[in-house]
Amino acid sequence: MKRLFISISDGKGFDILLVGLAMFFLLALAGIPLLYNVLMSFQEVDMFTLGSFIRPWAGLDNYRYIFAQPEFWLVMKNTALFVFCSMAGQFVLGFGLAIFFQQNFWGASTIRGLFLVSWVMPGLVVGGIWSFILAGDYGVLNAILEGLGIIDEPVFWKSDPDLAIWAVIIANIWLGLAFNMLLLSVGLAAIPRDLYEAAELDGATAWQRFRTITLPMMRSTIGAVLALGLIGTLQQFDLFPAMTEGGPANTSSVTQYWAWQMSFKQYDFARGATISMLMLVFVFMAAIVYVRSTRGEVRG
Amino acid sequence: MQIEILNLDKHYGAYHALRDVTVQIPKGQFVALVGPSGCGKSTLLRSIAGLETITSGTLKIEGEIVNDLPPRKRDVAMVFQSYALYPHMSVAENMTYSLRIQGVSKADALKRAREVAEVTGLTDLLDRRPRDLSGGQRQRVAMGRAIVREPKAFLFDEPLSNLDAALRVHMRTEVRALHDRLGATSVYVTHDQIEAMTMADHVVVMRQGVIEQQGAPMELYDRPANKFVAGFIGSPAMNFVDGKIGEDGHSVTLALPNTPVIPLSRKAEAGRNVTVGMRPEHLSLDANDGQIEVAIRSVESTGSMAYYTTRTDPELMLVEQGRNRFRTGDTARLRIAPENVQLFDRKTDIAI
Ligand SMILES: Nc1ncnc2c1ncn2[C@@H]1O[C@H](COP(=O)(O)OP(=O)(O)OP(=O)(O)O)[C@@H](O)[C@H]1O
Ligand SMILES: [Mg+2]
Repeated sequence: MKRLFISISDGKGFDILLVGLAMFFLLALAGIPLLYNVLMSFQEVDMFTLGSFIRPWAGLDNYRYIFAQPEFWLVMKNTALFVFCSMAGQFVLGFGLAIFFQQNFWGASTIRGLFLVSWVMPGLVVGGIWSFILAGDYGVLNAILEGLGIIDEPVFWKSDPDLAIWAVIIANIWLGLAFNMLLLSVGLAAIPRDLYEAAELDGATAWQRFRTITLPMMRSTIGAVLALGLIGTLQQFDLFPAMTEGGPANTSSVTQYWAWQMSFKQYDFARGATISMLMLVFVFMAAIVYVRSTRGEVRG
Repeated sequence: MQIEILNLDKHYGAYHALRDVTVQIPKGQFVALVGPSGCGKSTLLRSIAGLETITSGTLKIEGEIVNDLPPRKRDVAMVFQSYALYPHMSVAENMTYSLRIQGVSKADALKRAREVAEVTGLTDLLDRRPRDLSGGQRQRVAMGRAIVREPKAFLFDEPLSNLDAALRVHMRTEVRALHDRLGATSVYVTHDQIEAMTMADHVVVMRQGVIEQQGAPMELYDRPANKFVAGFIGSPAMNFVDGKIGEDGHSVTLALPNTPVIPLSRKAEAGRNVTVGMRPEHLSLDANDGQIEVAIRSVESTGSMAYYTTRTDPELMLVEQGRNRFRTGDTARLRIAPENVQLFDRKTDIAI
């Protein structure tokens, strides 16, 4: 007993305890639900079997059904577009802002801190605000664009099938900008100043310094930001009900919204689970990017 | 002149970091900037590199005014105290960075890096990352990276201060030998006056942004312009005792027990209050013609040298060759070599 206690207080037991706790929560709160989801995607689930664990086996029927849906490829295309453009926008603008605030002008850190506001706001509220901004008839954006003479007649951002997904992307970029900027700012701040001075004396222009010092030194930060950005974008749900409800005619629907509709609108839990399984492919890609970028980490 | 610094002034907001600094550096010279911490050595060096903008004055490199040129166009290389090696690049990549930036082909750059690695003893380390090197090796890489470029001047900011004592002494000669071999022009910042004295052709002593004196090392040692330089140059430091010039103007009375009178070789203003400077090695113990009796307060011996302090006010430090002949508490006759005393005005601290 005493030996066990010593082991836990300052030996290997302590390590095992910590790892064990983490593993327990991971399994209980993520692992088991995930496996249950996988299981459900191979079962027939209806209102009567909802409460039971053993249900009729469906094999790949659910998958065949989903692939055969007319909106399947549209939703996949939208998801790819949503994920790629949101992340690209968040990352490029976030990096730009991070570098901008790195210049240490008067008030830089205060203004940077204010960006946190967008992070605190619930997605539904953000979606609501962007709905107003992008509204076709009374929206602020249209008023500005018209005022500047860029457009002649109002653009119906949310109800034009070609634009609806872009409306959500714009809102999502805004929502994720602060997160990207703050994380990248931390990464930038961790690069020693004298490296830039050395590179400058070695003849490097600002662009060359960015390419040969900043980017390689930020590798792990960039990997983490991109991986977390991908996860955050795949998780992004609130904006859809608040802005377009996936419409018009599914032209702004993405997998996560579709899965929700399937499960909680049509109560087809098996097929909802099947759609969410498809998202696993995307998440898996994020995990690979993340692990690879942190592996070859070099610092000082 | 390879580098000309003319009437340079530098302000950080309200803080006046450099005041009217003028230094002329001919090609091939090794110049040391010394002074206490915060005196503006790094600021001056960084101004030459272009990393700080100067408030007024003129800065010329090879005759060209570079006041408004960015660092990358000045063609000077700097060795940082932190070395500032690129952590994500191998030693070879670090050394060839500037060449690659200039568009030299990879093969040519590598060939050049190998030549320099030969000279700096880095040949076996070319593939390593900086974090896998010892402090001394990193220091060499930083130097190698500068040498590869064949710049118009080398700027060093306390490059040896992170090394252990033995290596530091060794690197002093090595850096100087490299400088001579390359026919380089170097500006070397250090707070260690021994480093400055042993390495440099020309030493610039600074205090609070002002150049107190500049010249050849022995010139500063033998003829310090003021009390600050006299106290800063030389180790152990010069002893200072209050004194008063005698009526004849050819002797000085020291404010020590029994008020010894030291003859002066040249005439000084009679009755003037002065500070008398005496280097520890110009004091000796138990000579026949010693002027006063002193008690020994402490003894330190390194085997080859003995360092004594005396139980007087102010305390005097003196150095002798060989083993210590006295112990703490002993009394001995102290001789002050009259030909070597330095006089400073008591008020202005300027040498007389
Ligand atoms: N960016 C800055 N803003 C304001 N004051 C500064 C700045 N950089 C340096 N100083 C001040 O200028 C003075 C000279 O600094 P500098 O770094 O040149 O000293 P130094 O002689 O190199 O000292 P050390 O031996 O400690 O390196 C210091 O008093 C310092 O506080
Ligand atoms: Mg300094």
